[in-house]
Amino acid sequence: MRKRLFYVPYFLWIVLFVVIPLILIFMQSLTFDNGKSIFSNYQAFFSSGVYLKMTFNSFLFAFLITFFSLIISYPAAYFIANSKYDTFLILLIILPTWINLLLKAYAFIGIFSHDGSINYFLGLLGIAPQQLLFTNFSFIFVATYIEIPFMILPIYNSIKALDKTYIQASEDLGANKIQTFTKVVFPLTMNGVKTGIQTVFIPALSLFMLTRLIGGNRVITLGTAIEEHFLTTMNWSMGSTVGVILVFIMIAIILFTSKTKKNKVGVKNHE
Amino acid sequence: MNKLFSRIYLTILIILLYLPIFYLILFAFNKGNNMGVFQGFTLSHFQELFADKRLISIVINTFLIAILSSLFATIIGLGGALLIDSLKSKKAVNTYLSLNNILMVSPDVIIGSSFLILFTVLGFSLGFMSVLLSHIAFSIPIVVLMIIPRLKEMNRTMIDAAQDLGATNFQVFSKVTLPYLMPSILSGFFMAFTYSLDDFAVTFFVTGNGFETLSVEVYSRARQGVSLEINALSALIFIFSLIMIVIYYLLSVRSKKMIKNGKGRVV
Amino acid sequence: MSLLQLKNVTQVFDDEVVLKDIDIDIEKGKFYSILGPSGSGKTTMLRIISGFSKPTSGQVIFEGKDISNFPANKRNMNTVFQNYSLFPHLNVYENVAFGLALKKVDEKTISKKVAKVLQLVQLEHFEGRMIDELSGGQQQRVAIARAIVNEPEILLLDEPLSALDMKLRKNMQYELRQLQQELGITFIFVTHDQEEALAMSDEIIVMNDGIVQQSGSPVDIYDEPVNHFVANFIGESNIVDGQMLDDYQVKFVGKEFECADAGIPQNERVEVVIRPEDLDITTKDNGKLIVNVDSQSFRGDHFEIMAHDEDDNNWLIHSTNPAKESMGIGLFFEPEDIHVMRLNESEEDFDARLESYEE
Repeated sequence: MRKRLFYVPYFLWIVLFVVIPLILIFMQSLTFDNGKSIFSNYQAFFSSGVYLKMTFNSFLFAFLITFFSLIISYPAAYFIANSKYDTFLILLIILPTWINLLLKAYAFIGIFSHDGSINYFLGLLGIAPQQLLFTNFSFIFVATYIEIPFMILPIYNSIKALDKTYIQASEDLGANKIQTFTKVVFPLTMNGVKTGIQTVFIPALSLFMLTRLIGGNRVITLGTAIEEHFLTTMNWSMGSTVGVILVFIMIAIILFTSKTKKNKVGVKNHE
Repeated sequence: MNKLFSRIYLTILIILLYLPIFYLILFAFNKGNNMGVFQGFTLSHFQELFADKRLISIVINTFLIAILSSLFATIIGLGGALLIDSLKSKKAVNTYLSLNNILMVSPDVIIGSSFLILFTVLGFSLGFMSVLLSHIAFSIPIVVLMIIPRLKEMNRTMIDAAQDLGATNFQVFSKVTLPYLMPSILSGFFMAFTYSLDDFAVTFFVTGNGFETLSVEVYSRARQGVSLEINALSALIFIFSLIMIVIYYLLSVRSKKMIKNGKGRVV
Repeated sequence: MSLLQLKNVTQVFDDEVVLKDIDIDIEKGKFYSILGPSGSGKTTMLRIISGFSKPTSGQVIFEGKDISNFPANKRNMNTVFQNYSLFPHLNVYENVAFGLALKKVDEKTISKKVAKVLQLVQLEHFEGRMIDELSGGQQQRVAIARAIVNEPEILLLDEPLSALDMKLRKNMQYELRQLQQELGITFIFVTHDQEEALAMSDEIIVMNDGIVQQSGSPVDIYDEPVNHFVANFIGESNIVDGQMLDDYQVKFVGKEFECADAGIPQNERVEVVIRPEDLDITTKDNGKLIVNVDSQSFRGDHFEIMAHDEDDNNWLIHSTNPAKESMGIGLFFEPEDIHVMRLNESEEDFDARLESYEE
């Protein structure tokens, strides 16, 4: 049948680009060497201080990035959802996400660099140039900046989906604005928060471009480790091991924040 | 008071979000050679840009990859959406959707590194083709996800109606299903296009020495410091992005309207 | 000669028998209704006629030819769908022209024919409108126009009025009937609304549980329902148990009455139907039955009175005037108002019995 023929490329895609790569990266992470454990890469990973510290650092950075974007984004999403111009405002928030990530990172190099604008202003105030680029601060700052729209959108959607009569009911039952928020609005928008955390935390864990450009070589995450193993030291086996571990962490996060609602499409996912 | 606070908060946030972008564009017109101080207006960086044959060819490559990959991804994704839609068992649908979404949720490093292994195992040389195939591969799921809701909303008796009026299976597809799906197909194409233009990480892994896209080029230049030629390019890309967004917005408003009315039809 | 026949048509879905051994005969130029509650198999029957479903067994005969294996696009019939199923990406003209364009009819003929049917359904100036700019009633007309422009021998209508509001529905019933007479083609109209079927049809086919319960003219079906189901489904009925004493003699609620039915074995247990509008309120002395009124409600053109007799049988009465008293009023009815039904009598036996004594 002609119709079936149309399904074939998609099916091939699933096999060739979804299933096989996952199998390959897993196979690559195993060790097939007589006398060595098949999981010796994993043993190395979990017994090495360097790798564990790096994993911990990744988590810490991802946590901080997620945390800061959440506390900035929730009020923003709330205000936008309650505004008359909400569709326009949300469009304004989404718009920067359509601009190539590299270019935004590049802008921050200009802002933070040694002869950049901030140091110029500091100079006008008589303060000596500061090392701003390649610090933990700059990395977290820029990553948060990039993630904010991705956090705002799902929260905004969940607030918008909230039935307004709940708020009226809560007020009718005697709750004040703050009580209504903490006891009704926030719990009911947890789904949006969870989705937001998921869409921010996973990429934040595996960033490598931003770490290189903004964090310099000081910030090392799981993402940079994979990139380095694959493209610099050519140790694909260890790189795949870190990759598989990252995949498992990702699955754990998805299960943990298991969403009841999909992230609305329309915003590009990113690194 | 509350309203004032929310207004101030949003204003500051939006200004901060746009500041780096406009900052970048502003310095594209800077007479100086860095992004520290604005020393006067010039178009020389744009002239440099247009004279830079290497950069121009990279831009062309990037667009070529974007157009080809989104075209293929749209066709394959349409087939996928129809495939998933044709499945009867819910379990099969969920299995396909999970497989479909793996590349949506996977971090780019994982996609990039696993594709790199794949191409190496297959003995595929890295370059234009490997980048194109990768871009097609990671754009397919979004196309599927854009088309499926529209398929779900489709009134199945429409197909009966077309057959009733004498349409063959192929005519049903070309005269009813395809035109009906067109808004979502265009959205899918558009999303695939921006995915491709925006990608850095996957391309970075699977490209060889001879082939570069814009993102990869900006990355390697940015590692060497500031060059205002990049700012000029950013300005152009920003304008291009704006145009794309307007087109997408118009498309989605139109399709939303159609979907809404489509629902409203059954009184 | 019949235009379309279903012969021994049975349809089974997943071990569930949806249609059982259906035999029907459709004649040219008549308005048929297939009437039944949801799940009765009426839509399945329509889909078998239109060619969207293939019967598990049995034949579909069209003008003497077996078309059971013809797909929908090869049958000379068109359907008006329940939710209209107009193509939202096409305008009114393009929707109506769809079938003709597929047949490669030339543009000039198409535009002439489209203009003609749009005039027929009173949508002359709507050619350029998009479907979503039309009201429900207008969409309904476009759906009809889209079907009849192909000049089918049979027009199938799958509950096409169910989405319309009451007033519009009444109007459309009238218009559909008018249209059918103008076109002179056969209409097969599926509905669950008995009033609709009674008002529009030449013939009604009453379906339940995958079986044709009764078919006949609206008057026949209303006046002489074959069984409990039909009596209850078509109009409102008072149904009580009774016993046939002799030809033209029936006993119910403990009393003997003269009736108009015969051909039933003596002393057989039967059901007796009396329509609410056939019960007239009278004085206690003139009444054949004495009842007490439980409630009365005004229904615009009549009063609906609920009452019960001394044996606690409920009686529903439709009366132009309200009952003045509530205790001990008399009910009067003629022998012809009593309709006796045998239990489990098939439609064929019923028809044969009627014929035996009705000449």
